[in-house]
Amino acid sequence: MGKITLKRWLQIGAGLLIVVLAVGLYRAKSDAARTENEVHRLNGEIAEREARVRELRADIAEQESPARIEQLNADRLGHVVGSESAALPENQIANRLPAPQPEEQTGRE
Amino acid sequence: MRPLGPNSVFSHERLPQAPLEAAPARNRVRFLALSIFAVLLLLAGRSVQLAFSGDPLARSHSASAATSLPRADIVDRNGVLLATTVRAWALTAEPAHVRNAVETADTLMQHFPGLEREPLLRRLNNTDQTTVFLERGLTEEQRDRVVALRLRGIGVQAEHHRDYPQGALGAHVIGFTGIDLNPQAGVELGLDEEIRAAGQEGRAVRLSIDVRMQYALETELDAAARAAHASGGAAILLDGRTGETLALASWPSFDPNRIGRSTEDARRDRVAGDIHELGSTIKPFTVAMALQENLATSGELFDLSQPLEVDNTIIQDHEPISGYATLRDILARSSNVGAARLALRLGGARQRAYLERLGLTSPTTLQLGRRQAPLAPAAQGRRDVAGLGFGYGLATTQVSLASAYTVFTNNGARVAPTMLALAPDAPVERTQIFTPEVTRQVMVYLRAVVTDGTGRAANVPGLLVAGKTGTAERLGGAQGYDESRNFSSFAGVFPANDPRYVIVVALDDTGAGETGGLVAAPVVARTLRRIAPMLGLRVEPAAPAR
Repeated sequence: MGKITLKRWLQIGAGLLIVVLAVGLYRAKSDAARTENEVHRLNGEIAEREARVRELRADIAEQESPARIEQLNADRLGHVVGSESAALPENQIANRLPAPQPEEQTGRE
Repeated sequence: MRPLGPNSVFSHERLPQAPLEAAPARNRVRFLALSIFAVLLLLAGRSVQLAFSGDPLARSHSASAATSLPRADIVDRNGVLLATTVRAWALTAEPAHVRNAVETADTLMQHFPGLEREPLLRRLNNTDQTTVFLERGLTEEQRDRVVALRLRGIGVQAEHHRDYPQGALGAHVIGFTGIDLNPQAGVELGLDEEIRAAGQEGRAVRLSIDVRMQYALETELDAAARAAHASGGAAILLDGRTGETLALASWPSFDPNRIGRSTEDARRDRVAGDIHELGSTIKPFTVAMALQENLATSGELFDLSQPLEVDNTIIQDHEPISGYATLRDILARSSNVGAARLALRLGGARQRAYLERLGLTSPTTLQLGRRQAPLAPAAQGRRDVAGLGFGYGLATTQVSLASAYTVFTNNGARVAPTMLALAPDAPVERTQIFTPEVTRQVMVYLRAVVTDGTGRAANVPGLLVAGKTGTAERLGGAQGYDESRNFSSFAGVFPANDPRYVIVVALDDTGAGETGGLVAAPVVARTLRRIAPMLGLRVEPAAPAR
């Protein structure tokens, strides 16, 4: 009688263990799927933000371009960086170029 | 389950024989047991599968580790962004689902004035295709507007768009792509594979150019080309030790962001894509060849006062040198007669071999979209050999000329130019052509060109610029050449006491008398004034403008 009870309890225990394992496995799988979805969502968000960052970087590069900086420098500070010929009207550009030296450099190379 | 089974020992010993009504119940129990067994078997199988299928999180992570792009960013040597791939949207239609093509077209045209009615209607009625593109490169705001319209059969589709934040700056270097990101010009085309591979790996392609120097070179070239009423201009600045291109400019220029509004002439790369007879900028090589072959010495005196007749052709200088002249005078005063005589001493075969090794007879290896092959026919007679000695009979690109001038920065060895930034310890392939003694000697002569000769306008106090002017008449006149149309250039090396950098500036179609010394040499001086501090070189302050 005692042997039978022990066996029965063992069988019930084994059955319970299997059920617990099955439930545990199901939950683990559900968690993994949920996490995977979360990772997908985050990846999408990262891609979205990276795209935005790329746009902002392009905007920064445009704002910091030498041409714009020089223009701002000239407009707001009155400084002319380097050459005085930049962005001048054509007739003034000619005046700013070094004076020709006709008596010395008329020869063709 | 066993105690309830039909073969149970206990059932025979302890229990009376089961009544017949109990049989269905036993079957149900068996069925239940089998079902549970089957479920457990399935669970076991699934657990084995999960155990061996790897980590799903790790899989998704690796898939998104690198944000790949169809084309990588292009940056300058300091990391300044030159080209990038950004999001854009395309206005699309599914013709089969468009309810009323006319009304839809009218509504779309109100929001997109650039759309033309007839082509739009044609596309909206094109039911042969599932999806048609109506407009490309929409902004985020335009996309939202389209979505808000809720037009049946009309939608937006995400796509990539190439953006060039520097606008027209470096346009000929960077090039541009088509609407489908297919490369069309510049390094976009020349480094296409590299840019695609880098895009897949999520890294940028780093060019050797420096936008600050690029800007200085472009603005000075622009100013000089306008002043000289040139039809085009080309300029290149090289690190002559490594071949890295620090700046490369073509004039006129264009904005790659508005490619539709540019002309083909503006898009033309004149540095690596146009060939011209070089004129006198080739003379330093003629002198170097003669020195290398021991056909002349620095102390030798030449009588250049009379024109030289070669195969019924008279070669003369515009300003004949009276008295005797040395090799220094031949370069400083740019004597055609002197260069022709040296070339004739050298002979056609040796001259050709040197020109080939200097890279003047083959297309450049610079990674740009258009690499024009030179026009370099073999010399047919003494007249051709003499002409080659002072720059006629060989048409090549300005980048090839700049590459040839690197012999003066590498003790007689030539390096090929590159658009890619090199690591400080990267190996550089050098082709030895002249001995260091020969190039040092010619450097002295090139410095004399700037201090006492035709290139005085290129002088920058404190910087020790050396170089050679060049003025080649363009083809087109009644006698073959048109004296009123010049190709004026200056090829320089600096600083002369420790030559490292090479600069070439050329203006096309300048007028009569507008020699390289008058129109190109000043561009060099003005550019070098601006960029010398960026290279760590000191110049003396400019005299205040009057």
